[in-house]
Amino acid sequence: MEPLILGLGWLGLYAPLGLAAIGSSVGCMRAGSAACGALLEVESGYGRFIGVAALPSSITIYGIVVTMSLRRELTLENSPGIFGLGVLTGLALLYCAIAQGDACTASINASKSKQEVFGISIAPAALIEGFAVFAFVFALVLAADIPK
Amino acid sequence: MAEQYITLISSLPYLPPFEKAERSPITRLKLEQRLHILKPDDARQLVIAEALVSWRMSLSKPKTDQEMLLRCCAALQDISHPALREFVEFRLDQQTILAALRLRQHVFESSFLEQVNGASRWARVIASNWDSPDFKLAAVYPWIPQARTYIEANDAGALDRLMMGIIWQQLSRIADSNRFGFEAVFAFVLKWDILQAWLARDAGKAKSRFQELIKEVQNDS
Repeated sequence: MEPLILGLGWLGLYAPLGLAAIGSSVGCMRAGSAACGALLEVESGYGRFIGVAALPSSITIYGIVVTMSLRRELTLENSPGIFGLGVLTGLALLYCAIAQGDACTASINASKSKQEVFGISIAPAALIEGFAVFAFVFALVLAADIPK
Repeated sequence: MAEQYITLISSLPYLPPFEKAERSPITRLKLEQRLHILKPDDARQLVIAEALVSWRMSLSKPKTDQEMLLRCCAALQDISHPALREFVEFRLDQQTILAALRLRQHVFESSFLEQVNGASRWARVIASNWDSPDFKLAAVYPWIPQARTYIEANDAGALDRLMMGIIWQQLSRIADSNRFGFEAVFAFVLKWDILQAWLARDAGKAKSRFQELIKEVQNDS
């Protein structure tokens, strides 16, 4: 039983980073595909499409920080807490990154034809970033309560 | 969500409503270049559907109903994408109803059924309600009374506009069901075709084309 509990602890420790990286990859791939398509259609403003396509990458940074904050010597007392916090934070970051990629895709698609909506079209992606920040901040707060 | 279709959709321009468009936002050549991203099977199905139900397919329309029916049956067997198949069937239903509205004054229901049997699921319903003004299908297709009015008034322009509008709306609904998938791609291509047809309207050309068709029919008979 002990190795299983410690194993779950390790899983929880790396989950925020691993899952956030997967989500960011998918998000950036989708938004990047849209950006490449939009480059064929527009005559200028290429940089901002690529910039928007890179937005989901920020979520991996939150994953790195959460993993660092959870890092400690794993024991039978702290492993379940690390597992729960790490996996749930990771799943939240994974979904936020994918959803943000889709929001960026829609934003790029809308603003390529109507450039004046560029700013407002990023708002949904920014809102999703906000949810990722909530998950990130509260993971840090709760990580402080897990025994060292 | 296939990533290559995200690229494809994003590379296509905004298509304005056909009645408001002043020019085509993309040429056929450019559109075909972009469509090279399509998966081979999707591209094949799109070509088949386009030849069968695009607005301007009438340019290569078969001369007899039987030929047309054979073409429809063969095409439907080759179209496996559910949304595309549903749209093709929608167009065939629409064409069958229009044919019935046009033919009603000239032929009997048995003759009509013989001509179109197999083209639409509504063929038998139409034949059994031959004397009803809207074939008792107005609840399913609310446009039938208006189309009937235009046919009776010989107003081909208004009928075209009505039909184009209905197809446009249907394609928009299909595209909304999967904004970055094959649905959005084929909806764009078929809407672009309607837009081209709308922009190419020319009374003079239509008249000379009509005269050509009359000559063709006279030479055949």
